[in-house]
Amino acid sequence: MSSVLEQLVNKPYEHGFRTDIETESAPKGLSEDTIRLISSKKNEPEWLLEFRLKAYRHWLTMEEPHWPNVKYPKIDFQDIIYYSAPKPKKKKSMDEVDPELLRTFEKLGVPMNERAALAGVAVDVIFDSVSVATTYKEKLAKVGIIFCSISEAVRDHPDLVRKYLGSVVPPGDNYYAALNSAVFTDGSFVFIPKGVKCPMELSTYFRINTENSGQFERTLIVAEEDASVSYLEGCTAPKFDTNQLHAAVVELVALDRADIKYSTVQNWYAGDENGLGGIYNFVTKRGLCKGVSSKISWTQVETGSAITWKYPSCILLGDNSIGEFYSVALTNHHQQADTGTKMVHLGKNTRSTIISKGISAGQSNNSYRGLVKIGAKAAGARNYSQCDSMLIGSKSGANTFPYIQVNNPTATVEHEATTSKIGEDQLFYFRQRGIGTEEAVSMIINGFCKEVFQQLPMEFAVEATKLLGLKLEGSVG
Amino acid sequence: MTTAVHPYVDALLTGTRDLPTSPHGWLNERRGLALERANALSVPTTRDEEWRFTDLTQLTRLQLRAPGAPAEIAPEAVLPYIVPEAGSRIVFVDGVFVPQLSSTASAVSGVRVAPLATALKTDAGRLEPHLARLAGFEQNVFVALNTAHLRDGAVVVISKGQICEKPVHILHIATQAGTAAYPRCVVIAEAGAECTVVEEYQAMSEDAYLTNAVTEIAVAARARVRHIKLQCENARAFHIASCAVVVAKDASYTSHTVSLGARLSRYDLSVALNGEGAFAQMDGLALISGRQLADTHTLIDHTQPNGRSAQLHKTIVGGAAHAVFNGKIFVRPGAQLTDSSQQSRNLLLSDKATVDTKPQLEIFADDVKCAHGATVGQLDAEQLFYLRSRGLTETVARNLLTYAFGASVIERIPVRSIVERLERAVMAQTGAAA
Repeated sequence: MSSVLEQLVNKPYEHGFRTDIETESAPKGLSEDTIRLISSKKNEPEWLLEFRLKAYRHWLTMEEPHWPNVKYPKIDFQDIIYYSAPKPKKKKSMDEVDPELLRTFEKLGVPMNERAALAGVAVDVIFDSVSVATTYKEKLAKVGIIFCSISEAVRDHPDLVRKYLGSVVPPGDNYYAALNSAVFTDGSFVFIPKGVKCPMELSTYFRINTENSGQFERTLIVAEEDASVSYLEGCTAPKFDTNQLHAAVVELVALDRADIKYSTVQNWYAGDENGLGGIYNFVTKRGLCKGVSSKISWTQVETGSAITWKYPSCILLGDNSIGEFYSVALTNHHQQADTGTKMVHLGKNTRSTIISKGISAGQSNNSYRGLVKIGAKAAGARNYSQCDSMLIGSKSGANTFPYIQVNNPTATVEHEATTSKIGEDQLFYFRQRGIGTEEAVSMIINGFCKEVFQQLPMEFAVEATKLLGLKLEGSVG
Repeated sequence: MTTAVHPYVDALLTGTRDLPTSPHGWLNERRGLALERANALSVPTTRDEEWRFTDLTQLTRLQLRAPGAPAEIAPEAVLPYIVPEAGSRIVFVDGVFVPQLSSTASAVSGVRVAPLATALKTDAGRLEPHLARLAGFEQNVFVALNTAHLRDGAVVVISKGQICEKPVHILHIATQAGTAAYPRCVVIAEAGAECTVVEEYQAMSEDAYLTNAVTEIAVAARARVRHIKLQCENARAFHIASCAVVVAKDASYTSHTVSLGARLSRYDLSVALNGEGAFAQMDGLALISGRQLADTHTLIDHTQPNGRSAQLHKTIVGGAAHAVFNGKIFVRPGAQLTDSSQQSRNLLLSDKATVDTKPQLEIFADDVKCAHGATVGQLDAEQLFYLRSRGLTETVARNLLTYAFGASVIERIPVRSIVERLERAVMAQTGAAA
């Protein structure tokens, strides 16, 4: 590798700055008292405290799963701060928001105020665990859309939250979902009423700030009959050497003919080139296509985190419902990713598409793990899966673990996977045309991921393309 | 003597403790180690990832004993299984060599087909590096059980540079209900040697029994081994088999596995491509109906550069049958320029039929070409319509298409009489399965 390439590959984490802001934290450790504290700090109703405690008691009986193809030191759950919030001050307008905080967002390029208006994006900003500012709320409220933090939703729309919270990912679903259900502090809530097409892309920027504070967001999106929404989630995190656990739960519910599109660009701190530090991203994301002809589409670009472990899934319960999963997962240095999707076909004529692109460079390990399950009643179900891997450098690994379970003879399931590298002849061809190695690699990678990028909303597609270019240029040489 | 952790394993180990010691110390040692492992291991449950879809509860409910002395079988009784092309035949009844039914004399001097006892006299030095060593029993309770019981087996040795044109037929017949037999086959092809081995399992009984088979195949540099495995156990039987293959530099291993019988069958085939430029091709066909379960686990381990492997596994599943396939491809660090492809094709014929398939790639080298694919589906309505428009009845059309689906595996088998036999079997069974 030439020195220029070295520099590019080893480019330090751009978003590695840290905001000094007063935070109010709960003491380290997890117990029923911590949970009661979180619940009382957030003035939660009794049922939610019960929900949390039930989840916690169930969590205590569970064992940490070991099946994923990732390695990490044992997590000490008593060494985590479960609640940390910027000190509460009532703010009347954006001007009152802590300027330090605004500067952080500026550095991250979060469009707010006029920038938000220009970009046409409503941002529900999560800074550590509490929502600080929400824009566009009124405009959305006019058409009946609720877009707020989950804490606000618990306060203002308790019936809706109670009806849907935990309905897709039950509190005891898995180890980290149970943990999240017990201690979640904030997240977003979106409700699109009957027949409403959300007039803009909804977006949340997550950001982990206080050292050692685990983030346990909870996102709940409900689209009623004939409603549609596109939701964007983007992530960056400051540079720390202590691993930070992130165990979020995202639940999507689509009723009859509703359409939910959920896009993620994840670029959390991945640890340094020796694999020190970085975020542990253990997330449960699941969508329920409850109604007939409903549709849920997941698009993700995973480039950050020391360990990514998530399977955005679709339960295709309604007849004729559609599930989609488009993913690009890139790992470099010592990153590990075990990601994929589950498509569970229960209704008749349900269809799903899986397109997964894994790129592994450095000494990283990238696994696709997916499940396509066709239930006995899912007559006429159809699935197409394609998982392609690209290896850069001889020390990385790419794995595919697709589970296919079919219980209905009228189903058609297809799975294809390939592994390849950037060929010398391809690079030669580019160079011959006067295009340098750097640019050629970037172009090849972007071509490799094209089918996924096409699914991303415009701004994200641009960001994702840049991200991959930044992370990978020069890895070949 | 210690007793096994698992009571079921303990029961199956009855008798191993009084096996006569072999004059070969290394063999006693391996049997001892296997016994130790069998004592420590449990029968896998569906909580074990490798056995997730195959529930052995039914097997553990069976009270199995070691087979008694086999009843005499008239030579006419084995006529239907005779492979006319074969140059030699070695027959085992309930795991025990039966010289009367066998014809092991070979016209070619470099080809030796013999029961284990004889082979240990002539080829002990050749057996030692492979026997009870290729098939690992550390983590596999069934291989451990088989190795602990190791007393008899079929040994095929092809000397350096010898080309054995006529297939070698190894026939295992189960006759006693309620017993567990432990057949073992060892095939050693020395440098540049060539041979075709047919490993066949048949039953002359209607009731449940267990065949716990282990096969070990060593293919030395530039050698070629073609391995045909036919599993035609009876409909109540349990067939659990492991086959471990090592392939050296520029050598080739081709396997054709056809599973038709058994209430529950499991086949673990692992091929290690240990030499540069080694090649493996693995074809599989499982044709099952009723309440049968056929589980195939394969592993292709590319450890050296320039290896090639190709796999085609097909299942035809009717009734309430259940087919399981798990195909792993490993490409180790340094195994550059590996070219590997794997296809899992599954045909469901009825509402209650189930398929679980998992083609799996684990790649740790960057300059490789690997692809896998899996499909599950039913017969194509348009193709059926086409055939019916040509005057074929629905049943005939379905049978023809089903047969055609399986034919791509069957027709590649290099022994003509077996192809014909399987064609008839598949035609008969597809009629029943639909």
